Amino acid sequence: MADDTFMGVKRDLIDWHPTIDYSKCDFCMECDEFCPHKVFERREGDPKLVVANPHNCVVFCRACAKTCGPDAISFPGKPETIAAIKKIREAGG
Amino acid sequence: MARKYAILPCNGLDKLQGPLSREVALALVEETGGEIVCPVLLNSARPRYEKILGELPLIIIDGCGTKCASKLAGSLNLKVDRKVLIADEMKTSALTPEDSLSLGPAGLEFAKALATLLAEDMPEEPSADLSADFDSPVEYTSVTHDKFIFRIPAAGFHFNENDCWVRVKGTRARIGVSDYVQQNLTDISYFGPPIVGREIGQFDDAGTVESVKSTMDVISPVSGKIVAVNTALVDNPEIINEDPYEKGWIAELELTDFESDRELLIDGAAYGEIVKKKAAEAQH
Repeated sequence: MADDTFMGVKRDLIDWHPTIDYSKCDFCMECDEFCPHKVFERREGDPKLVVANPHNCVVFCRACAKTCGPDAISFPGKPETIAAIKKIREAGG
Repeated sequence: MARKYAILPCNGLDKLQGPLSREVALALVEETGGEIVCPVLLNSARPRYEKILGELPLIIIDGCGTKCASKLAGSLNLKVDRKVLIADEMKTSALTPEDSLSLGPAGLEFAKALATLLAEDMPEEPSADLSADFDSPVEYTSVTHDKFIFRIPAAGFHFNENDCWVRVKGTRARIGVSDYVQQNLTDISYFGPPIVGREIGQFDDAGTVESVKSTMDVISPVSGKIVAVNTALVDNPEIINEDPYEKGWIAELELTDFESDRELLIDGAAYGEIVKKKAAEAQH
């Protein structure tokens, strides 16, 4: 999905993806089971779950965070992301 | 006068969201006269609640994302009318409860404010449909990918790339999900309405639609105040499958700044191209 765009902006220029707080995550894997876009990836080592494909994440979707019991997943602010997208568009990105 | 609900709250004891759920439930009972359903007792002695669950619509107040109360309701095949997730409400509320299992003044205030908001959105009688403006007929075009045909309104609708549409009449707008969403989810079995009276920003969540296949947050194409939701979808969420652009509308908003919002919206033709691309990617 590297050549993907969102609202005319190259997806990899948009900073929107989940961040895992490993001090809270209990590796229940609910988020990975929920997300159909393969944003997360399970690993043998430590940590057992990583955000492997951040740009597969659907911009403005936060649904995986709502499956997280320990509230270990965070996203950037939507207003900031909207402003950043508009700025890139104005610059012709 | 608010409608009475059976209220099934999270019973968590080890996280702040548990006591908050309980407090919201208690405040809702105070405001509406509904009945609390204890999840522990429900799980071990369902007959205790058979009468209440038979007579009253059910609202679930989940504490954290584990959603034990929702899972319990699902395992008992209870029909759910509304769901609230405290962890999510905490992110959108201006009030920040103290990080303590024993609720402090801010926690109590948060619970009271949320209960008031919910009670105001539980009218005894559904409000009259004020939305005759949106009755004009819609003409459709379609795009195809492989054997799939996706309907798209020919004009008068704007889309975001999150597969949600908006139809604007003056300062009012209706929002909903596209035909692509309903085909992707297949049979929609639950509609979680947004709270009427709440102000939302563009791309904020405005309800959920669920099928056995998946759950999708409705991502609002516009900013504004939610002034109505399509209550018909609560009992009959399959209307979204049948008619996603007209009878299956999700919510109505009083717009805040549509001129600014539309910078990040596209028309039906451009959305059709995106649908074709998404459908192709979904096959791989």
